[in-house]
This record gives sequence, C-alpha cells and structure tokens, in this order.
Amino acid sequence: MKKILVVDDDDAIRMLIEMELKDEGYQVITASNAKDALKLVETEPLDLVILDIRMPGMDGLEALPRILGIKEGLKVILNTAYSQYQESFMSWAADAYLIKSADLTELKTKVKELLA
Amino acid sequence: MTWIMERLKELTTIVMAGGKGERLFPLTRDKAKPAIIFGGIYRIIDFTLSNCLNSGIRRIYVLSQYGSLSLDIHLRVTWDIFRADLGEFIYSVPPQQITVNRWYRGTADSIYQNLKLLDEERPKHVLILSGDHVYKMDYLAMLDFHLAKGADLTVAAVPAPRREASAFGILHVDADQRVIGFLEKPADPPGMPGNPEMSLVSMGVYIFGAETLVRELIADAKNQASQHDFGRNIIPHMVGKRKVFAYNFVEQSTGKPAYWRDIGQLDAYFQAHMDLVGERPVFDLYSEDWPMRSQLTLTPPTKYLSHKKPVDITDSLISSGCELHEAKVKRSVLSPRVRVGKGALIEEAIIWNNVRVGLGAKIRRAIIEDGVMIPPRFTIGYDPQADASRFPVTDGGVVVVPNNVTLEGP
Repeated sequence: MKKILVVDDDDAIRMLIEMELKDEGYQVITASNAKDALKLVETEPLDLVILDIRMPGMDGLEALPRILGIKEGLKVILNTAYSQYQESFMSWAADAYLIKSADLTELKTKVKELLA
Repeated sequence: MTWIMERLKELTTIVMAGGKGERLFPLTRDKAKPAIIFGGIYRIIDFTLSNCLNSGIRRIYVLSQYGSLSLDIHLRVTWDIFRADLGEFIYSVPPQQITVNRWYRGTADSIYQNLKLLDEERPKHVLILSGDHVYKMDYLAMLDFHLAKGADLTVAAVPAPRREASAFGILHVDADQRVIGFLEKPADPPGMPGNPEMSLVSMGVYIFGAETLVRELIADAKNQASQHDFGRNIIPHMVGKRKVFAYNFVEQSTGKPAYWRDIGQLDAYFQAHMDLVGERPVFDLYSEDWPMRSQLTLTPPTKYLSHKKPVDITDSLISSGCELHEAKVKRSVLSPRVRVGKGALIEEAIIWNNVRVGLGAKIRRAIIEDGVMIPPRFTIGYDPQADASRFPVTDGGVVVVPNNVTLEGP
C-alpha cells in the first residue's frame, strides 16, 4: 500500500486530506509542522509528501529541499492557499503545485497520477 | 553604456572554486586550488576575477569548499575592491547547510545548494566560471552571442590537441554552432571536422538562461544516478533537448583561437608558466587593455648584485623584492623576495615567495614552494633517482619541492 505524509498546520485541513486519502486506499501519516515532517521523512518509508507552505517555524519551501536532501527521489506536492509561491525557484523542486480547495478532486487526481 | 548596465543587472556570476585539486598535490595539500600562486605574483583565481572586472562584472559569488580559508584570505586581501553601496560585491560561499546537510557533491550540486541565492537575485542569465583557468576573456562578448542565438545554454569552446583533450568535455557542433553532441572526458576524443588533430573542448565557462538552469539543477538533484556534475550530467542531458550553443573563444583581433589553460594538474601548471616567458610569450601578461589584478605587496625593487661576474637572466619573470647574486636564471618565474646565491643556476623553474637558493645550487625543471631553503651546491632536476627519493616528481619529470621538508646539503 502506498504511504503518504500530509504536512499542514491547519488541523481541519490535515484531517480532511487524511480521511479522503484513506478512503482512496492509501496509508496516511501526518505532521502539523515541518520539523516533525522531516523526522518522519527520515524514519518512515514514504511514497509521497503533501506539503503546506505557510506554517509557523519552518515553512514548506524551506522544508522541501531538506526533504529531497534526505530522500532524493521522493515525490512532493506543494498544497497551499497562495499562488505567489509558484514564482519562487524553491517551489520548482516540487512535482506539483496545487492551490488548496475544499474540493479535493484535483489533489486526489494528482496523487493518483504521481503514484501511478 | 546604459545598455551594458542593463545586461549586467540581468546577470548573476558564480565562480566555482571548491574542488579539492588532488592532481595538483602537494601544492594543494593545505589550500584551495584557485588560491595557488601562479605567474610569480598572481593566484590562479586572479585571472578569472580580472576577466570579470575587465568585462564590467562587479557582482560575484565565489563558491568555496576545500581549503576555503586560503581563498577567503586572498579575496579579502586582493579583491576587497567592490563597493556595497553601489550594489557591488564579491562573496565567498561555502556549503551553508541551510537547505541540505552535506558538502558540495559536484559542480552542479554547488549551484543547486545555492538556489535560494538565485531566487533572491532573480537574474535572467547565469554566468558560471571556474577559479582554476588561465585566460583573458570578455564574458560580455559571450553573453552577446548567447542572446543572439536565443540559447538556453552557451558553452565556451576552444580547440585543443586531441591527445590532451581527453581531460575535457568534447563538443560536436553543427554549422550554426549548435552543440549536437557532447562527450565528457572520452578516452579517445574525436577530432574536429577538417582538423582531425584537434578537438573542440569545453572551457568550463557557461552561460545559462536562469530558469533553464534552475529546472536542470532540480531534475539533476533528484536523479540518484547522477554525479551532479555539469560536464558529466547537466550538459549531456540538455544536448538535443534544449538550445545549447558553443561560443568559439577567439582573439578578437585575429580570429584565431585564444589562449586558455586549465590548471588541473602539475604538468599543466608547469607548462602554463613556460608559456609566460620569452620575448613573445604564448600568454602575455603585459597588455594594458586587459590588466590582470593581483595582491599589492610592499616589496622593494629587485636587486641584481655582481661581484666579479654579471647576473645572467634570460627569458624569465622576476618579481619585486628579489636579490640575485651572480646567478644564472633561464626560462624561470620567481615570486617576490626570492634570494639566489652566487653561482647558482636556475633553469625552467617556478620559485615561490621567500625561497633561498644557496651558493652554487642548481635547479632545473622544478616547482619550489614558498620558504624552502635550498642548501649551497644542492641540485634538483639533475639526478632523477635522487629527486624521486626525496620529492614528488610529475609524469613530465618536473620536481616539486614542498615546504614541509628540510633539505640537507651535499
């Protein structure tokens, strides 16, 4: 079973994504900040990370190269409420950049595509 | 002028200077290769940095790693000439470990680790240079070519003898200068069309479109099979997929291939010095339109002392502050404050600062590190067995005398 790490400081969003992805048949673990996420990337076998950008402490753009530094080929989706980070070179290292929405269809499609 | 300023604003310049320089050992045992003395008074990196200055480039990042203190000191002492209030700078950037916890794994990784820097600068073009090449080049002429071709990547190229070319990346270009093939360090380099004895080699001087560079670096960083090297990975990956062009590095006045040397190993270091000496040297340090900057030192003029016989100097570069007594010096390069005793004979030697050459000592085809005391009547370069038992000797038969040994007189 493919294993996904969901990183978001917003409890409601994190839980929503977790539930919906579990319904799709994925194994899901979560972290509410980048620091915990990095620990999980180091210790857990993972197939994909869904990463929020604006989080207290370390933000997602800072965490992204660190995640890839630990696991070079790990797939990452940036999932954020803001579009302006798409301009940042740092965001280009992600496999996808999605704007957050209550409707998770786009996210689920992207997950499926990347894990195919 | 405004037009030049506009182009410069869109350009970020990065000098890669972090390599270990193992093939220059022992000269690099405690310093960075770009910080090695060259041509009497220069450090190797001075050529690249002088090229920047002469091209009008006054915003420079130097990526350092191995032996970085030697380089930092040199940048501070010699290159502290940029004005921050005018937006000018020269920064030494070691692996910062802010994005990843590792050293620079290769040339491409050294830039990848500094993506944040490019993100803050947001240039349109990125000029990537090496700190260990000897040449005189106008980088803006290359940028013009890059822009005229609408290239994603322009690689500076120069013909080199085929038998020496296996140390470099070999370019195969079409009639429009587009690169259609690239071989990194092949054992048997292909010749150029119409000139089978020469190969077209990459000088390790690149101009990238910034966004192309970032995308290529990210893809490369994710590739676990990659060695994260421009020559081995990035360029071969781009050829055939993106617009890669070769810029012929030629003398502007004659159109002939210009002088360029990679100081990658000891024999190349020695040979490049031999290119400096003589009436019409292969590489001319004396042109006023392209000055080479080096450390300014307060040394008195060199003194030539004749007791009975004259001092006999031919085809040599003698730096200031030296003292030569009735010695004979041919085809050699002396750094500042070298003292040569009576009756000494020096031929084809590179002698660094503060070396003392004793009375009647004989030196031939050698590199002598700073501070070495050569006892009276000592010989170097005359007895291959004795030399090899005491010193590193190169494949080309050049003896290297490091300053961590004490020499005993005969």
